[in-house]
Amino acid sequence: MLSEVGYILVGLAMAVAIYTPIATFRSMRRSDGRWAESGRNGAYVTAGLLGMAVLLLLAAFLGDQFQIRYVAQHSSRDLPLYLKVSAVWAGQEGSLLLWSCLQALLTALAVGRPSERSRPLIPWATVFLSLITTFFVAVTLFLSNPFVLHDTVPADGQGLNPLLRHPGMVFHPPALYLGYVALAVPFAFALAALAARRVEDWPAVVRRWTLAAWLFLGVGLLLGARWAYDVLGWGGYWGWDPVENAGLMPWFTATALLHGIVMQDEKRGFRVWNIVLAMLSFVLVLFGTFTTRSGMIESVHAFSRSPLGFYFLAFIGLVVTVSVIWMVNAGQVLREQHSSDALLSRSGMFFLTLILFLTLTATVFIGSVLPTLTGTLMGQRFEAGPEWFDRVTGPQFAALVLLIGVCPVLGRAASTLRQLRERGWPALVGAGLALVAAILAGFTGWVPLIGFAVVGLAGGTALAEFGRDVTARSRRQQENPLRAVWNLVGRNRRRYGGYVVHIGVILMALGVIGTRMVGFETELVLSSGEPVDAGGYTLVFEELRQDPTQDHSTTRASVAVYRAGAYVVTLQPQVNHYVSLEQDVAVPALLEGLREDLYLVLAGWGDDGRTATLKVFVNPLASFLWLGGLVFLGGGAVAVWPQARAARLPVPEARRRTIGAAVGLLVGILVLIGAGAAMWGPGHGAVFQSVGHPLRGQTAPGFSLTLLDGSTLKLSDLHGEVAVINFWASWCPPCKDEMPDLQAVWEEYRGQGVTFIGIAFDDEEANVQRLSSELGITYPLGMDVDLRIATTYGVTAVPETFIVDSEGQVAYIHIGPVSAGMLREELDSLLEGQ
Amino acid sequence: MRGKFIIAGFLIVAAVIYLIVSNTGSTAHYFLTIEELQEMGNKAVGRNITVSGAVLGNTIAYDSSLPQVLFTIAQVPGDPQEVERAGGLATILHSAVNDPGAPRLDVVYNDVKPDLLQNEAQAIVRGHLGDDGRFFADEVLLKCPTRYEEDIPDQVEGS
Repeated sequence: MLSEVGYILVGLAMAVAIYTPIATFRSMRRSDGRWAESGRNGAYVTAGLLGMAVLLLLAAFLGDQFQIRYVAQHSSRDLPLYLKVSAVWAGQEGSLLLWSCLQALLTALAVGRPSERSRPLIPWATVFLSLITTFFVAVTLFLSNPFVLHDTVPADGQGLNPLLRHPGMVFHPPALYLGYVALAVPFAFALAALAARRVEDWPAVVRRWTLAAWLFLGVGLLLGARWAYDVLGWGGYWGWDPVENAGLMPWFTATALLHGIVMQDEKRGFRVWNIVLAMLSFVLVLFGTFTTRSGMIESVHAFSRSPLGFYFLAFIGLVVTVSVIWMVNAGQVLREQHSSDALLSRSGMFFLTLILFLTLTATVFIGSVLPTLTGTLMGQRFEAGPEWFDRVTGPQFAALVLLIGVCPVLGRAASTLRQLRERGWPALVGAGLALVAAILAGFTGWVPLIGFAVVGLAGGTALAEFGRDVTARSRRQQENPLRAVWNLVGRNRRRYGGYVVHIGVILMALGVIGTRMVGFETELVLSSGEPVDAGGYTLVFEELRQDPTQDHSTTRASVAVYRAGAYVVTLQPQVNHYVSLEQDVAVPALLEGLREDLYLVLAGWGDDGRTATLKVFVNPLASFLWLGGLVFLGGGAVAVWPQARAARLPVPEARRRTIGAAVGLLVGILVLIGAGAAMWGPGHGAVFQSVGHPLRGQTAPGFSLTLLDGSTLKLSDLHGEVAVINFWASWCPPCKDEMPDLQAVWEEYRGQGVTFIGIAFDDEEANVQRLSSELGITYPLGMDVDLRIATTYGVTAVPETFIVDSEGQVAYIHIGPVSAGMLREELDSLLEGQ
Repeated sequence: MRGKFIIAGFLIVAAVIYLIVSNTGSTAHYFLTIEELQEMGNKAVGRNITVSGAVLGNTIAYDSSLPQVLFTIAQVPGDPQEVERAGGLATILHSAVNDPGAPRLDVVYNDVKPDLLQNEAQAIVRGHLGDDGRFFADEVLLKCPTRYEEDIPDQVEGS
C-alpha cells in the first residue's frame, strides 16, 4: 500500500515536472501570462508531490515497513528514532529521492517570487530548473526507486551501517544535497541570461542563492570532516578521497563565483568568468554524483556501483553541450566593456583569486582521476595519495591566504607607495607576531613557520581593516564602538560577512598547518597500571570493561592521562562489535584543547584484559579547524541574511514577508545550532574525574585512618615499611573473594617490614565489623569517612590495591581483585630491592 | 593592461602544472595489480606503489602486541570496465579468493588491524615491495562493497 502510493506520488511528480517546462515555454512563445502562471504552479505541485513522497518514505522507516526493500536494507526495529530519520538518506535510492525533492523545492522558491530584476529571466530559468528536476525525478522513478517491494517480507531489517550512526550523519548529507541543489539555481539563471540576452543582471539575482549553496556545501564538508574525525578513528579529518573531493570541487568554483559576482556588481567585467563558473559548478555537482554512484573511480566510501553512472555521464554531456552552444550563440552580448585596471589593484587581486580557485579545482580533479589519466596518457597508472594532494594544493592554499592578506591593502585601485606603507604595517606586525608565537609554542621546521607567518599576515590585515572601518564609523557617527560594529555589519552584510569568513578561513588554516604538518602519532601496547610516555603525555591503562548493549557489545578501555605528572582526564576509547553485522567499529576518545587534541583509538587487547593496544594521535591546533569553521559559517550566515528592505510594501505583503522572515530565521537558527552541536559537541569518551590515581613513582598521598579499634593509623608513621593499601567494601563480592588472599599474604610477610591496610569504601561500620570477623581478617581495617582517602587516591570503584614502598612512593597499582600470587611477586621484588 | 593579467594567470597555471608533474614523479604511487607488480620483479623494490586485491580471510594474522597484521591478497583486475564485464566487484572478489591459481601477494602492515579487514574485502594497499617479495604497507584502505547495498541473495529472490 505504502509502496504503491509512493510510486504514484513520484510518477505524478514526474508528469508535472515534464509539463512545467512545456507550459513555461508556451508562455514565452505566446506571451501569455496564464501559461506562465500554470508553469509556476507546476513547479509548486512537483515540489509538493515529492515532499509527500519523502514524508511517506520517512513514515515507512518510522513504521518499520520492511516489505519495502530500501527500508529493510537501511533500518532495523531497534534503531534509535533519530537514526531512522537519517536512514531515509543513508542509501542511494532515498538520497536521490531527497535530492529530487530539494531540487523541486528550490526550483519553486527560486521562480516563485520574481523581483523587478529577475522577472525577465524567470521563464527561461523555470524551464532549465524544471528540466533538471525532471532528470532527477526520472532517475529516481525508473532507475533507483526507494519504494521497490521485497518479494518476501523480512522479520527485521539489516540495520544501518554502524559508521553512519553519528549525529553528524544526520546533517551532513542533507546539507551537502542542499548545497548541490542550490548550485543549479545560478546555473539555470546563467543559461537564462544567455537565452534572454541579458547578461548584466543575473549575478545580482542569484547572489544569495549562490551564497546559500556555498554555505550549505561548506556546512556539509565541515560536518563530514568532523564525522571522519569523530568516527573513523584514523586521527584525521580529510583523506582526499574521491568522494570528499567531489564535494570540494563545486565548493571551490562556487567560492570563485561569489568573488566574480562581487566584481560584476561593481561593474568591473568578469561576465564570461561568472557564466563559466556557474556552469562549471553545476557540472562538477553532476560529476561528483557520477563519481559517487558509478563506481568508475576507486573510493573508500562511494555508494556501490550502479548503472546510474552512464545516465549521469550522458546528462553531463548534455549540460556541457547546451552551455557551450548558448555561450557561442550569445557571443556579442558577452563582450565586455572592459575597464582596464592594473594587476596590483582590487580587480587584479580578484582575478588572481579566481585563477587560484580554478587551478585548485583542476588539481583536485586531476588528482581524483590520476589513475585513469596517467593510464591513458602514459600506459602506466599512477595514483595520488594524500601526500600528493597536500604537496600540490598546499602552496595554492598558501597563496590564497596570502591574497586575503594582500588584497585589502592594495585597495580599490592602483595603490601608491605611501598607501602601501600606511595600510601595510598591520600585515607585517601580524606576520611577525604569528611567527614569534609559533616559535614560542615550540613549532619548528621552515614550511610550517612560513605558513604561520602567512596566516598572521592575513589575520593582521583582516583585523586592521575591520578596526579601521569601525573607528571611522564610530568617530563619524559619534557611536560607541560596539554599536558601530553592529551598524556597520548591518549596513553592508556582504562585505563584512566576507571579512568574517576570511577570518574563519585564517583560523582554519592554523588548524590545517598544525594537524597536517606537525602532528604526532604512534602505536602503543599498554599493560595495566604501567605508565607510558607518548607525545608529551603519560598514559596509564587502567582497566578493560565489556558491556553488551541492545545491538552491539562494547569493549571500553579506561586510560588515565597525565601531563607533567598531574592527572588531566580519563579517556575511554572503545570498540563496538555489531554481532549481526560482524563488524567492529572503533570509537576514538578525544581530549580537546586549544593547543592540541589528544586522540586515542583502542586497537586491540589481550585476552586477559591486562593489556591494551592503542593508537595515539596528538593533533596540534585541531580545535582551530572547528573554531574557524564556526566563524566561517557565522560570516556566511551574515552575508546570506536578507538586507533590510526600505521599500514601502502594501500591508498584507509586508506582513507575509515578516512571517516568512521569522520562519526563515527560526529554521536558520535551528539548523545552525543543530550543525554546531553535531560538530562542536564535547569530544566523546572523555571522563573527567576530580583526581586521578597517583602515578607510579610519585609520593603516595598521606592520610590518617581511624581503625575499627578506635586507634589512628597515619601513612607517614609507617616510614621505612612497605604498605599494601586495599580499598574494598563489604557490599562488593569480588572484594570478599580477594580478602582471604590478602589475609594469607599478610600473615606470611607481617614480620618483614610490611603493613597491610584495608580501607572500607562507602560502607557501614557494622557491616565492616561483621565481615571482618566472619573472614577472620587481622590486618588493620578502617573507615574512609566521606571518601576522603579514596578521592586523593583517585579510587572511584572497588577493589583497588596500591603498594607503597619504603620510600613512601607508589610502587604498584592494581584495579580489580588481586591474587596472593600477584601480591607475593610484587612484595618479593620490593623487599629484594631494599 | 590586459597582457599583465594574462601573464600573471599563465605564471600561476605554469607553477601549478609544475607542482603536479613533479609530485606525480615523486610522491604519486604506481597503481598496479598484483600481476603487474610481480611482472616488474626487482624493479618494483623501493618505489611508492599502490596495489589492490581481494583479502583472503583465512590468512589474516594479527598480533596486537606489536601491532602487526599479516594477510594475503589475490589478483583482481585494475580496470573498472573489466570489473564491470566480469559481473561486478563482489563477483570478482569472490572468484579471486576462491581461485588457487590467481597471483597472490603477502602483505605486512605494521599497524592496528583495520575494522573492515575480512574475507573477500577489497584492499587497496599503499606502501613498497620488500626484498623478500612481501609487500610492506603504510596504509590499507578497505571496502566491502556488498554489505549495505546488497541485493537480496538469489535463493531468497527465487522463492
